[in-house]
Amino acid sequence: MFNYIVRRLLWTIPTIIAITMLIFVILRIIPGNIIVAMFGGGGGGGEGIQKVDPAVIEKIRSDLKLDRPLYEQYYYWVSGLARGDMGESFFRGQKVSTLIKNHGPVTLEIALISIVVSWLVGVPIGILSAIKQDSWADYLGRFFVVLFVAVPAFWFAGLIVLGLIVAFQWYPPLYYEHIWVDPVANIQKVFAPVIVIGVGMGAMIARMTRSSILEVMREDYVRTARAKGVGPKLVMWRHVLKNAMLPVLTIAGLSLAFSLGGSVAVEYAFSINGLGMVMITALMDKDFATVQNLVLIYSLVFVLINLLTDLSYALLDPRIRYD
Amino acid sequence: MNSSELTNTKNIIIRLIYVCLRFIKYKPLGGTFGIILFLIFFIAIFADFIAPHDPLTTNPLMVREPPDSKYWFGYDEVGRDVLSRVIHGARISLLVGLSSVLLGTTFGGLWGLASGYLGGWFDLLSQRAAEIWMSFPSLVLAMSLLVAMGSGVETVIVAVAFTRVPTTVRVVRSVSIAVREFMFVDAAVAIGASKTRIMMRHVLPNCVAAFIIMFTAHVGTAIIIEASLAFLGIGVPPPTPTWGAMLGKATSAAINPQWWRVLYPGVAIVLVVLSFNLFGDAIRDVLDPRLRGSQDVG
Repeated sequence: MFNYIVRRLLWTIPTIIAITMLIFVILRIIPGNIIVAMFGGGGGGGEGIQKVDPAVIEKIRSDLKLDRPLYEQYYYWVSGLARGDMGESFFRGQKVSTLIKNHGPVTLEIALISIVVSWLVGVPIGILSAIKQDSWADYLGRFFVVLFVAVPAFWFAGLIVLGLIVAFQWYPPLYYEHIWVDPVANIQKVFAPVIVIGVGMGAMIARMTRSSILEVMREDYVRTARAKGVGPKLVMWRHVLKNAMLPVLTIAGLSLAFSLGGSVAVEYAFSINGLGMVMITALMDKDFATVQNLVLIYSLVFVLINLLTDLSYALLDPRIRYD
Repeated sequence: MNSSELTNTKNIIIRLIYVCLRFIKYKPLGGTFGIILFLIFFIAIFADFIAPHDPLTTNPLMVREPPDSKYWFGYDEVGRDVLSRVIHGARISLLVGLSSVLLGTTFGGLWGLASGYLGGWFDLLSQRAAEIWMSFPSLVLAMSLLVAMGSGVETVIVAVAFTRVPTTVRVVRSVSIAVREFMFVDAAVAIGASKTRIMMRHVLPNCVAAFIIMFTAHVGTAIIIEASLAFLGIGVPPPTPTWGAMLGKATSAAINPQWWRVLYPGVAIVLVVLSFNLFGDAIRDVLDPRLRGSQDVG
């Protein structure tokens, strides 16, 4: 197990380096002049709509180090990252690290509570659906899964906003308050996105739980346990659920990563001023310093989730534990 | 066309109908949604004739008016007919959904095929690359690509296709590895067939089922990504009607949103995605019973 963990941890280093390279390449494939694109060039590299003094363009180019060769630009970015310096947002005039510190907590809070909600929703539905296979409960559970896999999170968000306004004339508070400053305002702002993301992830978890349990119930050791007279409840808890939860763990990690991307649209739908919102604004502004760092943050969270999933496998799966 | 050719085509058509009927009989749910899907395609193709009004004509007098007897789905923020826009919106969703997945899974499938068959360092590198590729949340990856390339139907297709590659690489690779061990591959090697020939003539046909399964499993996700991009205002540019953009415009007026502008485009997205998913599930069950219930693509 020790070897496995070390190997797994070491592997994250080249992964992260490759991710920074990929982000860098993607954001530099923009054809034409980035500065022109920043000031209304339409992104396609065409001529800018607004006229900018060429001297000013040159000034910005050298300020942003865009006049240097690509490998040097990459070096500046990565060495800055190593020193904990993410650079400055061009249009906001703020440090990117400050942006993350200000806008990160909402996104993080929503993500964490959503995980809890997704397990509370997904696992019981999955278990019930599997134990009572082909009953009305199973059909209801499967209907829930099929429906919420197909419902885009941002539309579900729109429906909730609409429903609250039409039915109760209730508007969510405009500003986010930290949970320890004003818990009530915080919950009011956060509960709807948590439901949207949590239920979406819960649907995926429920599907995986169901199919995983059904698969394990067909295993020989379950039949053996039954044959030697173990009661159905004990078989379920000791033999089936314990083994069926491993793949669920993987899918929970994957679905969290998936909804991390979707949370950008959910934040937009609820006008929550989180990291996703900052990223959308930065993308629209072609504020590359901000975009490349935020994309990196999102990818690093993904890498971290995968790492945690694999490490928990090392702890839970005897095949790896005794390797 | 002589008479024997004619009976031949007739036989093929009869066989095709028979296969479809049998599919509906054994997979009633998937079959039903297959028919719904067929209808949606029909509506998208003949949108010009089916839509009751022009989707682009504005009517300043009727801005944000609720549905009435002539405009069943109401009016949008510049007085355009929501029903006609929903009907025309099917085109972009289907076009982007299908072509991006075709592009992404074909590329990923061929890559996975080669990766699995060739093995060695190429396989190792490919797998690591796919793993890193997967560390980008799909929507975030597509968003960055789109902003770099500029908005347009083609760039949206490429951006969404890009996100569909890595999972396909992995699945097709695993099939390719299994196929490599079959006797007929050894036989082909023994008679001196080249690696390219073996991959194309012997391994590829055996990966087609996996490819089709990946294809159908990805279309729903691709459509949701396209809609999300349009919702955020960076998808296919206006005035082309897209469901995502309609929802974006409807919900950004959050002080007083109109239910008909939020409800209908969303229902359309859910219906299409649901149809693709359930039809795809049924196809997967028919093609490969071992994979039953294991479909999960982020």
